[in-house]
Amino acid sequence: MDTTSFPAVWAVVGPGVAGAVFGVGWWFWVDAVVCSAAAVPFLHYLPGLFASFAALMFNCVKREDANYNYYSPYDDSEWRLKLWLFVSYVVSFVSLAGAVGFLVQDALTDTGPSAWTGVAGVLQSVFVLIRGLF
Amino acid sequence: MARSMRTCLHSGRLALLAILVSGGIVLQILACALYNNWWPMLTVLMYLILPMPLIFFLGSNSPSMMSNDGDTWVSFTKFLTGASIVGSIAIPSILKHAGVIGWGALTMELSSFLVFGVAILWLIQMNSEDEYSSAF
Repeated sequence: MDTTSFPAVWAVVGPGVAGAVFGVGWWFWVDAVVCSAAAVPFLHYLPGLFASFAALMFNCVKREDANYNYYSPYDDSEWRLKLWLFVSYVVSFVSLAGAVGFLVQDALTDTGPSAWTGVAGVLQSVFVLIRGLF
Repeated sequence: MARSMRTCLHSGRLALLAILVSGGIVLQILACALYNNWWPMLTVLMYLILPMPLIFFLGSNSPSMMSNDGDTWVSFTKFLTGASIVGSIAIPSILKHAGVIGWGALTMELSSFLVFGVAILWLIQMNSEDEYSSAF
């Protein structure tokens, strides 16, 4: 195993780290649902689900070198890739906002504190997944 | 080192590895049996996913696991490994947090996980050793 340079090591363990952070995100959410006093409505699951979906979207793009095309005949296909990436970013940020909104709303009643750790974790998992499979 | 000596040590190491793995299984079952609470068995689900990259890729070209050029399936199995490592730590912690199991069961679960981890790492290291030594 090439342990000399950081990019080489990252290429080998990157997917593992991405899986680990993804797991951390979702397991925090499971902990929040299990330990909460009141029932957690399905609406609260949505930010986490959308964040994971955005992560999946982001990882459908194979390589970033698909962005850098020095051959101009492929000019017209670049915008599709960028649009896809843009949509996945938008979905992840919207789910983050939704999670914050739910937290503030629930702080008034009962299921507040842990619910946030869950969805924030899932959002973090999005960002690691972004770096992970590249 | 004489060839017969090397084979003897090799099979000795394999036996030790098997003992390690069965020790991990014993710890896992003890964590449930001693406290008469079978919830920790849920972690077994994670242990099934954990050795997947080994099962899939150890027989074939193992360099593909440790080198840079991984195709999508190798990356996906690494992803599963990472998620299951976190899961096998997370499930006992969540069970403890919810008050389903006690501290003793938690420590047994975590130590069983550590034992499995050590065994798997050792197996990987032994396998990469074999490649170099079999060239002679």
